[in-house]
Amino acid sequence: MKTNRFASILARALVAGAVVATASGCVTSRVENAREGLTGINTKSGESVVIMAKSYHLGNETEAKYITCIENALARGSSGLNVIPHQQFVDSLFPWFEPRTAPSETDGLPRLMEKPGVADKIRDQNVRYIIWLDGDTEKVAGGGSLSCAAGPGGGGCFGFAWWQNASDYDATIWDLQGLESAGTVSADVSGTSFLPALVVPIPLIARTQAAACKGLADQLRAFIVTDELT
Amino acid sequence: MIASHQTVLRVIIFSAVLAGCGGNVRLDPPTIPAPNIHQEQITVAVRMPEHFDDFVHEENVLGREQWRIDLGNSNAVFFSQLFSYMFRDTIIVEPDGDPWQHSIDALIEPSIEAFEFSVPNQTKTDSFAVWIRYRIKVYDRYGTLVASAPISAYGKSLTTTMGGDEALQRAAVLAMRDAAALMIIKFEEQTLFKQLADPSTRLPAVADDSEG
Repeated sequence: MKTNRFASILARALVAGAVVATASGCVTSRVENAREGLTGINTKSGESVVIMAKSYHLGNETEAKYITCIENALARGSSGLNVIPHQQFVDSLFPWFEPRTAPSETDGLPRLMEKPGVADKIRDQNVRYIIWLDGDTEKVAGGGSLSCAAGPGGGGCFGFAWWQNASDYDATIWDLQGLESAGTVSADVSGTSFLPALVVPIPLIARTQAAACKGLADQLRAFIVTDELT
Repeated sequence: MIASHQTVLRVIIFSAVLAGCGGNVRLDPPTIPAPNIHQEQITVAVRMPEHFDDFVHEENVLGREQWRIDLGNSNAVFFSQLFSYMFRDTIIVEPDGDPWQHSIDALIEPSIEAFEFSVPNQTKTDSFAVWIRYRIKVYDRYGTLVASAPISAYGKSLTTTMGGDEALQRAAVLAMRDAAALMIIKFEEQTLFKQLADPSTRLPAVADDSEG
């Protein structure tokens, strides 16, 4: 009797796992760019990029894991860019890229370069572009009802819940060679996740942040590499 | 079998209760990177207050959560590092020590005037934020108070999968880095320490407008 019940629970769990592994919520995405100048990067000579989050003093809340995701996505593959980890860059230029002191416009770059050691540290790391990320992932709507109960004989859930997430991110690219803005790339992704439950909850998650990371990174790579020879 | 289920249930309930009880965070002394600045060629004494060696702040959030942050000697370590980068020679003086037995160009007395933090429950966001208001008093070689500046620093960090403790620690470290950046900018603009390097310059005394 106990063996049968265990087999039944195991079968349900396996089915739920298979469904979760193969299914996900719906995602719609829009990726755009606006170019202001010529770009290009010579990765063979070691030119590199840095991914930074705009300051929280300006109300920005870009997640640390999103920055890491973009860093990894840009560096991945045979055509990957040289990416300097943002914390390493910020530490090397302390205190001029702290949330309070980092320049918010390219107008501030010439003055920043005059600070002791700043131009040398940027040249030593061969940083060609700083990419400033702005935006975050938010839950914008949700509904439904789901209740779970557990007792000595077992437990289960019943109901249906849903929620909608929006991942809106902008990337502003600064060219440190010309001390000017090269343009912006934006990714707006929205998706609805579902959680139906009949004893076992089956989450169908819309991974909007992951989609926004991949979309923005692909577009950023194309934006930077396009014009000049690599 | 039933006993095993009940044990699991107790563990889950106990964990849930603990999760709603706030946290107890201890901060390891932060490491400030070497700043990209011109080092002032002067000798300063730094008199650390007693609370820099053992600073603890507790807060009840909405009467439900109890949060406690223990900065330990982080402030003493932080200011020692910062001033050793800013000045050619830095002499650390005990709270009741006599700085004037050394040949110094200036005496600096940092202190904490206010410390606050907020947790996600209060702000309805995923972030922890820390505010620290330091007071930096500077005396010239003659013992005259020539500067008494408030430094209001702010740090913010999003909750991570590792939980709120790590985010609160990170916010506190960011606030201290913010204070360092602010002090460097402020004193660079004022050219105060350049003037203190010149023995022939007598700066006017300022009022001691600190709270404590």
